[in-house]
Amino acid sequence: MKENYRKERIARSIKARSDDIYALTSYREMWYLLFPRVIPIIGIALVAYFLPLYWKKVIITTCIFAMLAVSWDFLSNCGLLSLGQALFFGIGSYAAGSLDHYLHLPVYVTIPVATIMGGFISTIILLPVVRLRGIYFAMVTLILPLMLMRLIEATKILGGTEGITGLSPFPNVWVEITLILAAMWASLFGLRRFIASDYGLIFVSMRDNDRATMASGINIYAFKAQSLFIGSSICAFCGAFMTHSYQFTGMPVFAMEFSILPIAAASIGGIGTLAGPLVGAMILVPLSEILREFGTLRIVFYGLILVVCVVALPEGIFHYASRKYNEMERWVKIE
Amino acid sequence: MLNVDKLMVFYENAIAINELSIEVNRGEIVGIIGSNSAGKTTLMNTISGLLLDTKLKEQRKGGERITIFGRISFLERDITDLWADERVKMGIVLSRERHPVFVESDVEENLKIASYLLSRPVMREKIEYIYKIFPALVPLRKRKAGFLSGGEQQMLAIGMSLMANPTLMLLDEPLLGLSPAIQVKLIESIVAIRKEAGVTILICEQFARPVLPVIDRGYVLENGMLTLHGTGEELYNNPEIKAAYFGV
Repeated sequence: MKENYRKERIARSIKARSDDIYALTSYREMWYLLFPRVIPIIGIALVAYFLPLYWKKVIITTCIFAMLAVSWDFLSNCGLLSLGQALFFGIGSYAAGSLDHYLHLPVYVTIPVATIMGGFISTIILLPVVRLRGIYFAMVTLILPLMLMRLIEATKILGGTEGITGLSPFPNVWVEITLILAAMWASLFGLRRFIASDYGLIFVSMRDNDRATMASGINIYAFKAQSLFIGSSICAFCGAFMTHSYQFTGMPVFAMEFSILPIAAASIGGIGTLAGPLVGAMILVPLSEILREFGTLRIVFYGLILVVCVVALPEGIFHYASRKYNEMERWVKIE
Repeated sequence: MLNVDKLMVFYENAIAINELSIEVNRGEIVGIIGSNSAGKTTLMNTISGLLLDTKLKEQRKGGERITIFGRISFLERDITDLWADERVKMGIVLSRERHPVFVESDVEENLKIASYLLSRPVMREKIEYIYKIFPALVPLRKRKAGFLSGGEQQMLAIGMSLMANPTLMLLDEPLLGLSPAIQVKLIESIVAIRKEAGVTILICEQFARPVLPVIDRGYVLENGMLTLHGTGEELYNNPEIKAAYFGV
């Protein structure tokens, strides 16, 4: 009989481990855990600090989109499929812009206040529709930013079509980069830790089976509102940050780009991992800058790369990479 | 007619079916008895070819790696690498677990969907035949399948697999979730199908008591391995089977 071989997968786990305590026994194990976390942090910081000014701005935009993508993934993890990151982003942006323009508050006040305010306003706007599921919630979130955009155009409030210009900038570009990098890593690792906690378990269970969650005596609408607040606050921070970075806020902040690009980033990076969307944004945004020299063909190449990514790695880059990193494979003989 | 030779199926590192060899002859009703996680559904999916599809999908999204060894042959032809649709054309039709029907379509539409491979006059004839076997479906012919009870859905599911003109029908837990009275009725119709349509039937179940009296031969699976093999009568009188699967 011919010999049969089968590929076996073994988790490359850390030796001493209990439920929630990792007992690290060697530098090798520590390095194994730290490597995928520390290297990107240091790497991106190095790149961000030493590139010329134009690319510094690109990195800042990348980080903003990465945060939008992480927040989108968090919301989708909680069973809220959002097509309207632009809504949260725009509200945060307008909040920061008007606080600065009308009340003349300094940057270090407007950004935190706009973050909280943006979270609150978005949650309150979406509270009535939080009971809708899946595609219906997505439709509402898709429409709302377009509606707000036209509302501002028609009523000419908050600067109307002109927008609000001449807002106060950051002291210098170093502060700007440090702040956005810190915020991005804080939101990524914070949300990852949050989702892994016992409290965060409820949020994930709402996506898996919301009826079973309800049957366990949990008021899922309260939890959905909480997740909405967390997700939209992150986007509102991005909006506020961008406003001060460009010293401008106006109708473009409700553009579809801010809703769609995070989803594209999440789907090529790997949905459901939080880190995946960040990886996706880190690839897509600089890529679109590099492709700029092709002029109009840019979108064609961009679309092609997206299609190839989705077809070749439907699970997403992060899923694939983490599988390769955490598992060993070897051939074993049967019998 | 159907020969499964030393079949092994791995889900990742877990073994679901271990060196299983079974044989089904023309015109028989063969039973596969086993508790949960014995590998019954995996066996059914492997024979019908659905597992190849699952395997490909898992492979593409990097999920569980499914490995299949061994040989399956049907009517003297090796079908191990054949896709599910080709196997259906050869006459192997599976009625899946938990009676999946098209819930948005009515009973008659469901039967029509299942008869995709037939010509129109044959299809009409077949539908009449199915109403003859399951008279309970006649008053429900215009009702949406989603509104049927579990037993009615199961009848419909078996009817749908009959529409595909099987020579070998695989029934995956047809009695799951049905009341004892309906179980008896269903078993009777299965026997009738064998007699009238001349279909060979491979049925897997965990409720051994209603199934064992009607089967010609039976295999008992445990953790993917064959533990017992005998005629229906032998198994029915086996004290171990009584203790394990009759609940006495």
